[in-house]
Amino acid sequence: MTRTSLGAPLDRVDGRAKVTGAARYAADNNPAGLAHGYFVLSTIAKGTIRSIDAARASAAPGVLAVYSHANPLRLLPPRSYIAQFIGEPQRAMQDAVVRHYGQIVAMVVAETFEQARDAAALVTVEYDAQPPAADFLAGVPGARDPQTPFGHPVTILADGVPDIDAALAASEVTHTAVYTQPPEHHNPMEPHSAVAMWDGGKLTIHSGSQGPALHALDLAEGLGVPQEDVHVIGPYVGGGFGGKATSWSPTLLAAAAARALRRPVKVVTTREQLFTVTGHRTASHLTVTLGARRDGTLTAVKNLAVTTFEIENPASPPTAAYKCPNLDLRLKVVDLDIPRRTIMRAPGYAAGTFGLECAMDELAHELGLDPIELRMRNYATASPDKGLPYASKHLDECYRVGAERFGWSRRKAEPRSVTDGQWLVGMGMATCVLPSSQHAGAARVRFRANGTVEVACNTADLGTGAMTVLAMAGADRLGLPVGRIRPALGDSTLPVAAEGDSFMGAVGSAATSTILSAVHDAAGEAITALIAHAVSDARSPFHGMDAQDVRYSSGVLEGGGRRAGFGELLTTTGTPGVEAVTTATLGEDTERYAFITSGAHFCEVRVHRLTGEARLSRVTCVVDAGTIVNGKTARGQIAGGVVMSAGQALLEGAYVEPATGRIANANFADYLVPVNADIPAVDVHFLDHPDTRYNPQGARGLGELTGTGVAAAIANAIYNATGTRVRDLPITPDKLLS
Amino acid sequence: MEQASEPERGVSRRGFLATSAAAAALAAGTAGAPSPAAAATAGPARAGASVVRVTLRVNGRERTLSLDPRVTLLDALRERLDLTGTKKGCDRGQCGACTVHVEGRRVLSCLTLAAGLDGKAVTTVEGLARGDELHPVQRAFLECDGLQCGFCTPGQIMSAVALIREGHAGSEEEIREFMSGNICRCGAYPGIVAAVKAAGERG
Ligand code: FES
Ligand code: FES
Repeated sequence: MTRTSLGAPLDRVDGRAKVTGAARYAADNNPAGLAHGYFVLSTIAKGTIRSIDAARASAAPGVLAVYSHANPLRLLPPRSYIAQFIGEPQRAMQDAVVRHYGQIVAMVVAETFEQARDAAALVTVEYDAQPPAADFLAGVPGARDPQTPFGHPVTILADGVPDIDAALAASEVTHTAVYTQPPEHHNPMEPHSAVAMWDGGKLTIHSGSQGPALHALDLAEGLGVPQEDVHVIGPYVGGGFGGKATSWSPTLLAAAAARALRRPVKVVTTREQLFTVTGHRTASHLTVTLGARRDGTLTAVKNLAVTTFEIENPASPPTAAYKCPNLDLRLKVVDLDIPRRTIMRAPGYAAGTFGLECAMDELAHELGLDPIELRMRNYATASPDKGLPYASKHLDECYRVGAERFGWSRRKAEPRSVTDGQWLVGMGMATCVLPSSQHAGAARVRFRANGTVEVACNTADLGTGAMTVLAMAGADRLGLPVGRIRPALGDSTLPVAAEGDSFMGAVGSAATSTILSAVHDAAGEAITALIAHAVSDARSPFHGMDAQDVRYSSGVLEGGGRRAGFGELLTTTGTPGVEAVTTATLGEDTERYAFITSGAHFCEVRVHRLTGEARLSRVTCVVDAGTIVNGKTARGQIAGGVVMSAGQALLEGAYVEPATGRIANANFADYLVPVNADIPAVDVHFLDHPDTRYNPQGARGLGELTGTGVAAAIANAIYNATGTRVRDLPITPDKLLS
Repeated sequence: MEQASEPERGVSRRGFLATSAAAAALAAGTAGAPSPAAAATAGPARAGASVVRVTLRVNGRERTLSLDPRVTLLDALRERLDLTGTKKGCDRGQCGACTVHVEGRRVLSCLTLAAGLDGKAVTTVEGLARGDELHPVQRAFLECDGLQCGFCTPGQIMSAVALIREGHAGSEEEIREFMSGNICRCGAYPGIVAAVKAAGERG
């Protein structure tokens, strides 16, 4: 195939709009007659609403309506199981039941934001409260089995081994420890927002979502209207990380209020509200037990994970990480009266690789082996669960190149050996790993008379660079400069595959591979359609020729000594455009091969001897993600994942008060995320080995990859620096001083 | 971090407190009064409504607004002037997404009441480029990929423009420190540092 643009480090095609402020995110739309909604949240975690007094709020200046279960905006429960399972099974304000602290119990709509906000403070709610179950750790011992179809146990035993405990008992050495982390919040910089307006029975809603098609389905189900009557527009999304994969009550309530009031309504959740009215990543408690021979060969891995969410299964990474004859990986689930959990970047693998990769470091230390050497002794060339060989895996090269770039040979194996003034300096490493996923997506490719080509896909760009990849995919396949491609995404009316998961949009690091194959196939069909038009239209210079005799190359049709660019052709024939819409056929041979994205992280951390403050001072990531489609945006994804994981390691966690279920730190001053000064230069290196058995372009996804492993590399470096092993995230100074 | 070394030029902390207090008093004094409602957007207010008239010079253009005194500069820009480039990430002064310049100095527009800025010059991200030609800092953010989702970007750029002007882009360390009031959840920090450095060097 022509390699006109794939692989180039291209500036974002939407970059100019973003640096000038021209990019319109959901809340940046101000249609005429706009009213503003503001929520009142519950101040108990469990119980029922005895009464709501909305009289003062209703009488406040500018107030148009105060809604609550007593004056409801009716929403139907979601039917799609994705919405039920990943999102909310229960929409807000439909009954008097309070299920968690910070639940939406009333919504004030007023002429202005200030009026709605201040009137919301006048709503008085009385409750019959019950004590909530809000203490995750207290729930761990009594955790239940997961609800299928998720969270299945994995048991793989070598011939003659009766169970995992027998395999562990027969191991020469074992290591067992518990690794925990608190709930995390996506905290995209753009809070969930919506501007909703109705025209007769049809809804147009500006709302940033990872999957516009799924979002439209959720809205249609909730509002009881046909899906085709819902138009979701969200070309710019201010971050998602899984939190905007499904639809949350604020958006549905905006649409319902706009319908009831017959005027456009804007809703912007506040940062504080975001913590409780949308989903979060579950807390996790993972017990890892490794069995090995003295030479470091793994003989058994037993993982018991406990979370509040079936899909977030930290027991899973051993299915993708190391060669091991005996695996027993289980998940248990705790039900709590706390806000709803959902998926977040690298679900299961984020917490799971923290545990596994710390445990590997601890085992290496016990056995006196270099951590890389231990990993190489257990190097998997086939997938540990399926037994299929990896089509393309170069993790060994990642270790080698990374060690070289980082200067791993200078590491002292003995903890607390290196100091720099008052700072203890340590190095750590870890593997990052994530099974690859891609979907059979649909795309539309349309040649237009003005000489440009629209390339459209029903997905979203959350900052990943998907819009740029979409343009590059079109340019590459059609042999045109990127400047002649008009990418379109973030709109529910764009083509979507009838089957499969592609309607979920940008999830599971699948967007790039999905876009590439969808655009590849649609562009091929568009070329066929263009040629068919050229030979059939009476005004065309190719009229009457056999389609076989007309060739397309780089935007130009040629045949029978005639030649015309597609823009010229369409102008001549008076046709605005010729298009094809198609759903991709995926070529990956999953019968014979397994596919994985992996890499190696190296971190240097400095810990202050007196204050216990840990500073990340150097990072190297070497990544094997197949073909790198856009080196610039891919680098951003990898470095961005490192930043978020540095937060996981050192800063982040929601503190749920056990007695009340209230999140004590629901704001940016108390829920700490990394700021610029927390992050050193990040050395990112891509191996760029195309995985052509996965797709013709050889690209695997990488958006979530550095959501794995980094926290362990940091914890391992801290151990190397201080001799203190912290297994409970985040690693705050108090844990290093005690 | 801000030093009041140029007494008359900026919004001093004391000046801010004074105007805030005035605004608060206005708001309190008229509680329960009829709605200023859409008066904020255009036209004269209804009789008795609590409204403040403010004239701002926004990106070089005089804009006179009749405002509910509770309106922040951020909401005045976004909801009344349709200048939506400036973003609301927290509305609490904790994220920097709303950073704009008032009289050439960085302020968090979510913590600044519009009513207190009569006669002041406000620059937003929309006011940086000259027609099609990007401001050097905008160009550097684009080239160095100092952004992902782009939501924090206007605030990052407004901070960067100011800190370069103040001479705080001397080293990567200094840039990191001075850019730390602007959260980027996408984690574009390495690209942001590279962009500020590049723009600072270009001068
Ligand atoms: S919106 Fe002003 S600091 Fe966050
Ligand atoms: S680019 Fe997304 S928050 Fe900074």
